[in-house]
Amino acid sequence: MTDMTKSSRGVIDTPEEVEFELRAHIGAIWSGGRLFIGMYTFLLASLAFSYFYLRSSNNGLLWRPDHVTAPTAYGWSIYSLTLLAALMAIFGQARLRKGSVSEWQTAIWVGVVAALLALFLQIYEFTAVPFYPGSSGYASTFIGYSVINIFTIFIVAYWLETTVARSLRMDKDLGVAKSQLSMHPSAQSFRANVASMTYFLGFVALASTLLFAMFYLL
Amino acid sequence: MTISAERPEVVEAMVPPAIVEPRKGRRGGEWLSQHVGTATICGFLGYLLGHWLGNYIGSAYPYIANSGQNALAALLALMFMVLGWLLGIGALNYPLAKLVGREAKGDVEYSGWTRYFRYNLDHKVVGIQYVVGVLLFFFTGGLLAMAIRTELLNPTVHVFSADTYIKIVSEHGTIMMMMASSVIVGPLGNYFVPLMIGSRRMAFPRIEAFSLWTFIAGYFVIFSALAYGGFPTGWTGYAPLQTQAGPGMVSYLFGFAVISIGMMTAGFNLAVTIINYRAPGMTWSRVPVFVWSIIATAALLTLASPVLAAAGLFGLLDRTAQTAFYVTEHGGSSYLWQNLFWFFGHPEVYIMALPGFGIVGEIIPVFCRKPLFAYRIAAAGMIGVALLSFFVWQHHLFQSGINPDMRPLFMLTTELISIPTGFIFLVGMGTLYKAKIRYEVPMLFCMAVYFNFLIGGISGVFLSDVPVNVTVHGGFFVLSHFHYTIMGGLIFAFFAGLYFWLPKMTGRAMNKKMGLWHFWTMFVFFNLTFFPMFIIGLLGQPRRVFTYAKNLQTLNEFSSIAAFCLGASFLIFVANLMWSQFIAPEKAPSNPWDSLGLEWQTATPIPYYNFERIPVIMTDPYHYSEIGAPTLADFGDAQPAYPSSSVATSTDPDQ
Repeated sequence: MTDMTKSSRGVIDTPEEVEFELRAHIGAIWSGGRLFIGMYTFLLASLAFSYFYLRSSNNGLLWRPDHVTAPTAYGWSIYSLTLLAALMAIFGQARLRKGSVSEWQTAIWVGVVAALLALFLQIYEFTAVPFYPGSSGYASTFIGYSVINIFTIFIVAYWLETTVARSLRMDKDLGVAKSQLSMHPSAQSFRANVASMTYFLGFVALASTLLFAMFYLL
Repeated sequence: MTISAERPEVVEAMVPPAIVEPRKGRRGGEWLSQHVGTATICGFLGYLLGHWLGNYIGSAYPYIANSGQNALAALLALMFMVLGWLLGIGALNYPLAKLVGREAKGDVEYSGWTRYFRYNLDHKVVGIQYVVGVLLFFFTGGLLAMAIRTELLNPTVHVFSADTYIKIVSEHGTIMMMMASSVIVGPLGNYFVPLMIGSRRMAFPRIEAFSLWTFIAGYFVIFSALAYGGFPTGWTGYAPLQTQAGPGMVSYLFGFAVISIGMMTAGFNLAVTIINYRAPGMTWSRVPVFVWSIIATAALLTLASPVLAAAGLFGLLDRTAQTAFYVTEHGGSSYLWQNLFWFFGHPEVYIMALPGFGIVGEIIPVFCRKPLFAYRIAAAGMIGVALLSFFVWQHHLFQSGINPDMRPLFMLTTELISIPTGFIFLVGMGTLYKAKIRYEVPMLFCMAVYFNFLIGGISGVFLSDVPVNVTVHGGFFVLSHFHYTIMGGLIFAFFAGLYFWLPKMTGRAMNKKMGLWHFWTMFVFFNLTFFPMFIIGLLGQPRRVFTYAKNLQTLNEFSSIAAFCLGASFLIFVANLMWSQFIAPEKAPSNPWDSLGLEWQTATPIPYYNFERIPVIMTDPYHYSEIGAPTLADFGDAQPAYPSSSVATSTDPDQ
């Protein structure tokens, strides 16, 4: 947990102060996770606004000429892998709540691999789209979507990887097995982080579904 | 989260999660660790690497190789420069360590002045770093303003070419708007919010430091536009001019994207801190009004800035990946930029205005020795302004060919926002009413805010009306209006805050006589500079044009000379700052204004952990001149440095 070890200033904190700091820290992770989703919603909403704005404007009848088709095989693969990463996080959290740390870790590792594969495919698709980026409004927004999706999947992969790496190190640092389930402040912080991460990945799953529908199905 | 499995016992289960005072850096090791010097070197190397990479990639694309302009190289150079800068300052140490599961330990901190050149996690150090950062922005933008006014001295004899002039105007506007978005939130918000809410720390100190160093990186990025030949769009960057501009436009777009990341992270951290780290007893009805203004601003920063980042990204893609977001002929739309930009840009106005109101609301009760009038109305007004600010952006498009049927709706929402703004203004008037005012330097600046904002605000109500907007759009009337609101409101409030809180921040008093000179010259010459511009605008002079009708020369000369004097007034401030803080420092009293604010109750200099004991808040900090006023807070066995009970009934600290 960030900055949460014994005070070094020569003053012993009262139990109430200890409790206050811990509650504030856990609350910060909780509300920070939700606020992050708010931020991300506005980022994605900007993309969605651009999509529908250009679609309804249809300037020069160049919203989407016939030859501009999205590579659906890549799209399905990227979407499926992103969804898998999110589902693994949700499933993993359920297992962690039941007390199974190892199943949570396995699920998260699967999620990491899925996210990295999705990231690779998204980058590859970005470099090999079968149309000229400036050929139409749709082509432009598709490129914008690709870049934002690369960023999104990178965040997903990073958050999953750092969380599972932290859980692996935690046992060693605290000197007990299944330390992630303990009442140690670090463990409480860890679980709050897992909850926020899972919530964010749920949001990513929902947003990915909507964006996938917009760019590949509509 | 509920844990149904058997929990393992951990011996250290009750280790106090207290704040860690930093480990001291090894003596003599300052220059071997990460600091601004290493950041500069890494940034420079990153720039070279990015430029080379961009040229390498660009050489494979005939349209780049044959164009003579490689926006990709410019973009990659700037991206790698920012990355190198962050790497060199140490911002990426923790995110990289997390990849192998390492958590934060007590950070190595260096004492003395060198800590101000490092990635420091103490919110007070970050606050001071921000002060220097925003002043850097401000004085750069100010010098460009002097250049603008020099050119406008004469309509026929030119100092700059038309092309150079518009680029100077654009750079001035962009730098000033970037600065203004953080001028209070960055320095004073980061420094004082934890102190005002009784917290020992920020929620995410690394994110706080990240926001600062990203903000500084944004300065270098936007300044690099001059090296790339500038950009001719003004600070609003409208397409199609944007798509036709040279590589300096990349600096503009990427600079705004970088700054927006800094704004997002700053707002995020402040919002989370205020929500979670308020001391026990600090209910929402006891939160200082400055903190209310910061949380309203933080919400705007967090939610509006991503839209700017997206708009910048799309512009960069247009220039590098050859997309057509803003190119109408290829299925895009230049209006799309206007919509995205102003969806951020209008909340941006309140990002700038609200913290100014917060400062003024915080300071005037101290010098009026009266409780803040209608505190709850002030807080509600700030939240109301923040909410409504998302529904007014289309009034910037009144002239851009939006559906005429939409105009009345956005005229109405724009006029509606003057209601909560008026509440905030009237709260100030109510506090001033029948008060025995002490006209100290911070109070004078606050009074100036009300005077200036009254002019700026009322002219804004006129501008929200479509007929007036149609008449004066794109002219000096609009220019004068927004300088009255932003400079007349925000910058005056910033100086009010600086004069008010610098004695707490540095422990040294500012020279009062020089402060008075600074105030009066700034106030008088500000009005002499910008008020004539209302007339100039009504007489038809357009913005961003380096020549004008001959009959406007006298007014322009008057405005220019006043502007030079206004510029000189800031030299008085700099002289005061240097004199009072470095050359002939005088120790400031622990509570020179007799404020009841919680930030004044802790020791000076403020210890790393802010409060020895987390205070329990008993009431709000505005019970001035109230007989039998409750004590502000219970500090446990730690005594406050300046007990609030001794100042609550005090009316004249000199007695």
